Amino acid sequence: MEKGKSTGSTSLLSKKVKIEGELKGNEDLHVEGHFKGSIKISGDIFIGPTGIVEADVEAHNVVVQGQVTGNVTAHKQLQLQSSGKLLGDCAAQSIHINEGALFEGRSKMIRSSASTTGGKPDGNRPKN
Amino acid sequence: MALFGKKDDEVRPPAVQAPAAAKAAPQSSQKNTSLDTTYVGKNLQIKGNISGEGSIIILGTLEGKFDLKGRLKIAQGAKIKGNVRATDIYVSGNIEGEIAASERVQLDNTAKITGGIVSPKISILEGAMFDGEIKMSARTAEVSKPASPRPTQAPPAAAPEKKETEL
Repeated sequence: MEKGKSTGSTSLLSKKVKIEGELKGNEDLHVEGHFKGSIKISGDIFIGPTGIVEADVEAHNVVVQGQVTGNVTAHKQLQLQSSGKLLGDCAAQSIHINEGALFEGRSKMIRSSASTTGGKPDGNRPKN
Repeated sequence: MALFGKKDDEVRPPAVQAPAAAKAAPQSSQKNTSLDTTYVGKNLQIKGNISGEGSIIILGTLEGKFDLKGRLKIAQGAKIKGNVRATDIYVSGNIEGEIAASERVQLDNTAKITGGIVSPKISILEGAMFDGEIKMSARTAEVSKPASPRPTQAPPAAAPEKKETEL
């Protein structure tokens, strides 16, 4: 899994802590506690088995081992592991769901604009 | 001399190996090997309330309230706007708001506090900036109660007037 555009350090929300509100930033996030609100980060987010997220999540890679109630946008990959639960819609470039996961919602694939060579961002648009 | 030199070399390698082994450990767990300490990195901004138990280390920006049963460390570079309530509070960053600790408050030399402090124990290092009122009474959990011990028969609107006359 490619790393996100984060600074390299990981923030951690531990098991007995609850945060309610908006979270934004340029870091990786590891959630083991309770989060309610909205998350928008440019790094990766890892929701551990005790993590409960009632929020819309937007991140680079999203790995879910806990519970997410809300819409998830993963700019790269969404991974639902076998203990993961996603109740909500998701949008991702690639999606990986392990057996045992729970997913109720709508899935939408994000098509990358520059998937072939690393050319200009304005580069070749699909001719349709 | 050579013997002493050799002895020093013998002593040093284990010390050198220890930090090397620590670096060789998985890079994903930096400071906290346990998952008990909440860590809010410096590029994170939170607008909301944090509550819970355990230790929290904040390096980022927070606009909101804290209600924690445990240790709170606000590192240098962190900015907090809001009321903070915890058991122990160690401040090396900026806080704008009321602080209430049930055990102790420690202000480092880079701490900047604009607002009141309520705590039974306080320690302030030289260099800290503190603009506000400090109360060290035994009842630290109730920040909202009026300071005067006299029974306030007058409506709450009159309470601030009483405080001003006392000053």
